[in-house]
Amino acid sequence: MILGIVDRRDYPRFASHFVPRTTTGRRGLLLFLIFFALAEPPVLLLANRIEPFVLGMPFLYTYLLAIYVALIAVLLWIHHRDV
Amino acid sequence: MEPWVIATGLIFLYILVTLVLGFVANRRLTIDLDDFFLYGRKAGFGVLYLTVVATYHSAFAFLGSSGFFYTHGIGFWDAGTWTILVGAFSYVIGTRIWALGKKFGYVTPADLLADFYESEAVRVVVALVSVLFTILYIQAQAQGLGYIISVASGERIPYAVGTFILLVVAAIYLAAGGLRAVYWTDVVQGVWMYVAIWVGALVLAFELFGGPFELWRRVAVERPDLLTLPGPKGFFTPGMWFGMMISLCGVLFMPQMMLRYYTAASDRTIRWLGATTPIYLMTLYIPTALIGLGGALVLPELAIPDQIFPELLFRYAPPWLTGIILAGAVAAAMSTLDSILHANMTVLTRDIYQRYVRPEASPAHYVRVGRFVVLGLLVIGYVLAIQTFEALVVLVSLSGSGALQLAPSVVNVCFPSKLLLTRVGVLAGIGAGFACLFWTLVIKPHPFGVHGAVWSLALNWMVAAAVSRFTKPPSADTVWRIHGEMERFVYGTRRSPSDAS
Repeated sequence: MILGIVDRRDYPRFASHFVPRTTTGRRGLLLFLIFFALAEPPVLLLANRIEPFVLGMPFLYTYLLAIYVALIAVLLWIHHRDV
Repeated sequence: MEPWVIATGLIFLYILVTLVLGFVANRRLTIDLDDFFLYGRKAGFGVLYLTVVATYHSAFAFLGSSGFFYTHGIGFWDAGTWTILVGAFSYVIGTRIWALGKKFGYVTPADLLADFYESEAVRVVVALVSVLFTILYIQAQAQGLGYIISVASGERIPYAVGTFILLVVAAIYLAAGGLRAVYWTDVVQGVWMYVAIWVGALVLAFELFGGPFELWRRVAVERPDLLTLPGPKGFFTPGMWFGMMISLCGVLFMPQMMLRYYTAASDRTIRWLGATTPIYLMTLYIPTALIGLGGALVLPELAIPDQIFPELLFRYAPPWLTGIILAGAVAAAMSTLDSILHANMTVLTRDIYQRYVRPEASPAHYVRVGRFVVLGLLVIGYVLAIQTFEALVVLVSLSGSGALQLAPSVVNVCFPSKLLLTRVGVLAGIGAGFACLFWTLVIKPHPFGVHGAVWSLALNWMVAAAVSRFTKPPSADTVWRIHGEMERFVYGTRRSPSDAS
């Protein structure tokens, strides 16, 4: 231990797995995060209304349904591209 | 014939079908732990898909979500976000758990964590956390079953008796056929519940309002407060919206879900599963919205909102249809209940009994012990179900938040990064997470309008990371072995430490 911190110089260090290493993977992650942010506050609050009805349903409900469908489409696309 | 006789008779017919499936599974059972606990690690996409979705969606989805729409309005559509997230997490975490399980022969979540963190204390804590918080889930399912059969029989079968009957049935087919019985019955239950809830919602929407679109119009005119956030009681603040989603994601870290990843035949099965499960999971909340919001107009003064669906069926649908749909509700609860019973049986038998009591016994012995464990869990679940009477969603939310405390430790195993948690760090994080959870869910619920799950998970992660800076990490060999396997599995490479960035 050096200055109370465990010395880990001998440990294997891999590049982080949190960020995809392929362009397709990074695009997929970015798309997913963008659509996801649209379903969360504060962006969501802009869609917090009943009118106008879209496809026979209240605006907020249809807005979220469209985002969920888009997110599923991203997952299917990622799977299709074998990321 | 009286309506209650038809409805109750159809539920018992459904129960008979599940029992037959359990006994057929028993005839295929070999006395092999992998077979009894993990379906021989050869579950294909079809069976795994239906067991996963049926396990995710429970009495909570069938009764609790309608009750939540009824009480708090459209805010519960937030649950759609959760369904997408668990699909995405299955895609990236599930495949990694599968790969490690296959490579190193893990059977339980604690196997994986104890191996990486080189700690028996981690094994015991993870096993206990897994069991403790899923027992709350058993309670929620048992209560759902009690509600359904009590309502179906017009309270001729008391809540306590109905709960007992259905718990015993689930335990019998589980003990008989192991995970194979659970998977086979889940296939039937997954299809039945999906069809039942859609048919029930559409029949009621047409019967009461002339169709779903007219239902939405009527709600907009008569109860507009149900169609915007934060809802009539102000529940869905931005912090609760985000936090409830996080809390529900805790289900992902419950043992019944992690075990399912081990059982897949291949990683492609899990990838396909992750990409497609949200379709089933999310679309099931469409009919429950119709039921809950429509019910708020038709029966505005219901004492127990979770009973809105069966109450509507009994008043406005033909008895035969009511019976079939309520059998679907029983299917929803039983498919989750049997999976939890199985997971807890596996955890207690493998992580506690096999590890510390009788390490060298025969597979047949462990199968017998597993069956006794099921019996014990049955008794505990029953007692909990009849002693307390909380709303289903609250119960599930609490159990989800508890299981969520395993997230930092699991993620750190599956995702190599600069942050390397230690066993002391993980245990400290879990401890801090639970203390925070107790504070933010019980003492001072949801501080600053943010769900307790968010506070507890954030604190857990921070404490785990901070303590890990000053404590002994797993050995370099172990980190190399497990993270090296992750590197090989995900990227097809196994670079030496010197050329890793």
